[in-house]
Amino acid sequence: MHPAPPPAPPMLRASGLTMTYPGGSNALAGLTVDVPAGSVGLVGANGAGKTTLFRLMLGLMHPTAGVLEVAGRRVVEDPVAVRSRLGYMPEHDCLPLDQSASDVVSTFGELAGLPSRAARQRASDVLDLVGLDEARFRPVGGFSTGMRQRTKLAQALVADPQLVLLDEPTAGLDPVGREEMLELVGRLAGFGISAILATHLLDDVQRVCEHVVMIDRGHLVLAGPIDQLMQTTGVMRVEVGGRDDAVAALAQALALQGVPAAAADAHNLDVDTRELGEEAFDLVRDTVADLGLRLYALSTRHRSLDDLFLQEAYR
Amino acid sequence: MTTLPPALAGAVYDRGYRPYQGPRGGRREATLALWRLSVRRALGLRRSWRQKVFPWTLLGLATIPAVVNVGVAWAIRNNPVEMADFSFITYREYVGVSTVLLLFVALTAPDVVCPDRAQRVLPLLFSRPLTGVDYVVAKVAAISAIVFGFSFLPQVVLFVGQMLVSDGALDYFTDNAEVLWQVPVSVALLAVYYGAVGVALASLTDRRIVGGVAIFGFALITSAVAGIFQSAADGGTPLSLLNIMFLPLDVRDLVFLGHLSDESGLTGVEGGGAMAVGGYLVVLAAALGVLVYRYREVDL
Repeated sequence: MHPAPPPAPPMLRASGLTMTYPGGSNALAGLTVDVPAGSVGLVGANGAGKTTLFRLMLGLMHPTAGVLEVAGRRVVEDPVAVRSRLGYMPEHDCLPLDQSASDVVSTFGELAGLPSRAARQRASDVLDLVGLDEARFRPVGGFSTGMRQRTKLAQALVADPQLVLLDEPTAGLDPVGREEMLELVGRLAGFGISAILATHLLDDVQRVCEHVVMIDRGHLVLAGPIDQLMQTTGVMRVEVGGRDDAVAALAQALALQGVPAAAADAHNLDVDTRELGEEAFDLVRDTVADLGLRLYALSTRHRSLDDLFLQEAYR
Repeated sequence: MTTLPPALAGAVYDRGYRPYQGPRGGRREATLALWRLSVRRALGLRRSWRQKVFPWTLLGLATIPAVVNVGVAWAIRNNPVEMADFSFITYREYVGVSTVLLLFVALTAPDVVCPDRAQRVLPLLFSRPLTGVDYVVAKVAAISAIVFGFSFLPQVVLFVGQMLVSDGALDYFTDNAEVLWQVPVSVALLAVYYGAVGVALASLTDRRIVGGVAIFGFALITSAVAGIFQSAADGGTPLSLLNIMFLPLDVRDLVFLGHLSDESGLTGVEGGGAMAVGGYLVVLAAALGVLVYRYREVDL
């Protein structure tokens, strides 16, 4: 029997990461988090520290304190080696406007260390992938916002990075463009490319990411797999009827059995299930039956990432 | 209905994403790629014909003295008296076709650095395996290489042409053998200096036109100020060091003649040659220092 392979190192590991700018403002304050490979949403309001974290990951500045590892490598020790396996898509306009998409993307392939011919071939492939095969020889200056975003994504992918950093990739896009960009980002994990998607649009993260890291004013708010975070809410919503005080009666009966519950509205009751877990379903069902009430609906309440963020950030 | 055989029917393939498993270079390859791209940009290669007109016209202008020299020498080759006296331009003087070179630097140095900052391409460049120093090396080396080429190639035309129209090609070669090292050395010193100073001045602004004017204006103003001091001193004065764009020509004279020429404002000054070399090194170091400072870090 073969021994189990050692677990893969996290794609990003921050330990006590602190970044204080010369003016004294704390962009990151002791951030400690492990981020696995895959699609990860980095969520936070403007000024939360997302861009600072990207800058530190790219080795463009040194942290004031703490340790940062990307793909198992300490960034401060060899930032160039780390950058050679990263792709980066900035939020702002950053493309040479007088060059064709093909030239831009192959240029950045060469700058990532690819031989010239390979860079041109890869540029052709990734422009095809992002849907710019027809427009590849047109100057970027004549592109729409959506096409420029695709070109930016293509240059980030051209050198086949291990990890791609996407800074607000849907910013400025119309609904169709946004859908298409999210669809592309969602496909990256299938190509074996991990992605960290920095955004303040929680919907985007919820749609395409497997994990989420929420930061606020340089502090970690929450991190983990999105499915787990959203399902382990500890709240069950029960819709009852049959008499006017059905909600109050049920709340009282549950309280007597040691289960906290609070009325959400005239027909709905939120039951705290953190202590009982799955047994809560049976208990609620039986109590409703004992009281002679009508049970219309019973569900684990799914919160959105917005709810989670607001709850954890402003707790 | 006609049915095409499978081989001719065509098919749609979803090629999907193909990981790259070929060779992957590091800093050296990235720097070399940036150098190559900058040379290409400065020469207008893979750009519209408008972008090609300027650099190639300047190359043509820089070559005219060599062509005239060789052409006249060829025309009078059968008149030994005239041939012996004829010299339209010397190899030493040819190193200093500086107005054309300065014009080239003033227009191409801003073109290779200003758009990177103005169009915010720098964050993307520095997200690659490149450092600020690599960027500076690539950009200065690109301009220097072209200035070297534009200075050196006409000298090759001059040397080969003169050799071919002379009575004895081998004699001409042996008589002028020293220029085979003097020309490349002095041209290289001039090219590195102009490249570093030009790119440093251009790096101070985002706008190409401002960068070009700054380079040309800097050369004119420093030359004029040094000229005023020279006139006031009625001869050589250490303040001629202020003629910053002339310093590589002083160094050129040291390479060719072993001493400063009469054209230099430092002629007659005690230790003028050493001062010229010192001034050259200080300005070069300052230009590189400015560049490293300007590209030490970028905002994302």
